[in-house]
Amino acid sequence: MLTSKTTNKPLPEITDQTRPFWTAAKSRKLVLQRCARCDTFNFHPKPWCVECGCRDLAWTEAKPTGTVYSFTISRAVAMNLPGWQGELPVLMCLIDLDDGARLYGQVVHCMPEEIKIGMRVEILFEDISEEAAIPKFRPAK
Amino acid sequence: MPADVAIVGYGRTPYSRAKPGERVYTVDEYIAWAADLALQKAGMSKNDFNDQGLGVAHAEAAHTVNWSASVAETLGISPQVLIRADQGGASASAMLIRATALIRAGIIDRALIVGADTPLSIPSAAPGLPLSPERTRGPYWDFQGPFGVMGATAQFALVQMRYQHQFKLASEQLGKIAVTTRHHASLNPEAIYRKPITMQEYLDSRVLSDPIRLLDCVPIVNGGLAYIVTSAKTARTLTTKPVYLKGFGEANNYYHGSRTLPDVTTTGFAKAAPQALAMAGVKHTDIDFFEPYDDYPFVVMMTIEDWGFCRKGEGGRFVEERNLRFDGDFPLSTDGGQLSGGQPGGAIGGFMPLIEVVTQLRGEAGARQVRNAAIGASCGFGGIPYGRPGRSCVSLIFGAEA
Repeated sequence: MLTSKTTNKPLPEITDQTRPFWTAAKSRKLVLQRCARCDTFNFHPKPWCVECGCRDLAWTEAKPTGTVYSFTISRAVAMNLPGWQGELPVLMCLIDLDDGARLYGQVVHCMPEEIKIGMRVEILFEDISEEAAIPKFRPAK
Repeated sequence: MPADVAIVGYGRTPYSRAKPGERVYTVDEYIAWAADLALQKAGMSKNDFNDQGLGVAHAEAAHTVNWSASVAETLGISPQVLIRADQGGASASAMLIRATALIRAGIIDRALIVGADTPLSIPSAAPGLPLSPERTRGPYWDFQGPFGVMGATAQFALVQMRYQHQFKLASEQLGKIAVTTRHHASLNPEAIYRKPITMQEYLDSRVLSDPIRLLDCVPIVNGGLAYIVTSAKTARTLTTKPVYLKGFGEANNYYHGSRTLPDVTTTGFAKAAPQALAMAGVKHTDIDFFEPYDDYPFVVMMTIEDWGFCRKGEGGRFVEERNLRFDGDFPLSTDGGQLSGGQPGGAIGGFMPLIEVVTQLRGEAGARQVRNAAIGASCGFGGIPYGRPGRSCVSLIFGAEA
């Protein structure tokens, strides 16, 4: 496992398979693998489309907006690195992107008591290393 | 299904919370210990498994390449067939299905199935928590860990929060499961937490990841378990109390709805349980007691619904209305489950519901014995897929009579 020495949080192991995602995030774009045969957006990265089995998956920019499918307010660090301690509580959500993929993502700039299922959110990015950034979300304006 | 296979022995080592000063046992030592207990119970020797089957559940503690064959070497057994499961908490149950198929096909007559893990003794980046190397490898981790997902508690909290959005569920209903299983643990000398808890203590326990509280969470332990399955013919020569497998069902990587945006409030038990019930030829009301995979009370409640004991969305009310004690009308997790008994790692806790069914049907459950127990059901539930509740769901139904 790769960890950040400065933040004591985990870093992704960047492979040729996943590099386009991290690189795009660094330039503030959300890209997902879109199936050339059935148009399904796949996430997280897959070796073929989970709907139809087509290996022709093209990294495609997705709309940076979505809806909170579910949320939890993490109040303790568990099965992760101690670096998160300083950011608790973490608003961890499952976000349904408008383009039809679901992903884990933190909602920030939002009080814990304000988070709601169905809330509209938009993406912002946070650099986590020289090579990678992660998408986070905030309430849509 | 014809009652042509049976369980004839089981073993469960004492569990350890790995407190300072305690002897630390290795996975191999726990496996041998659990196997020894199972062999003694069955009146068998390890040599009875030469040219037969040996099943080994995956463990997270570091182990060697060709691990199931290596376990055979460590135990000095020369099996014809190695059965290996890496289905987390469904491994023990899945291996029973594999062994049953091999016995029915006439390839083997019997199998020794073992599992152990020492999650509290894995070198970890997060002290006290089993953040094993294999949990932190590949895209599955790379798109969770760096995003801030706090393990199973956060993952199940997300499912529970969604459930509570779609259906009614009260904290007291889940609390009843936690309080009742602790009561059962107080009657089970092998359980790790035996001091009874009250509903108020449950409700007052601190929230770790809304809506999941501390007393919703399974305590991790080191330990090992084993069981022995044979043809019914052999079983009857070994014991007067064979426990027959009557039906099974299994669903892996189940999606409820679409693959990309599934409804996460229904598990693969919705598929596995009807298979098991049909195969066993029993109705829900024929089942005398129920042993779910209980890493969280919410998972228990969903499992009850998906087995069809009540309709989807009515699990909370079902739990509230029924008496879940061993002497009640819906005996649940009669050994204290994993919630109070302890979970020897995510891969091995799945032996416990299966072994408790066998213990009950043999009438060996002591102070927690279900009276006139004739038919019992157990569950395997393993692995957490990305954004969904359970990778592998196994439903098993056992009977004391052929």
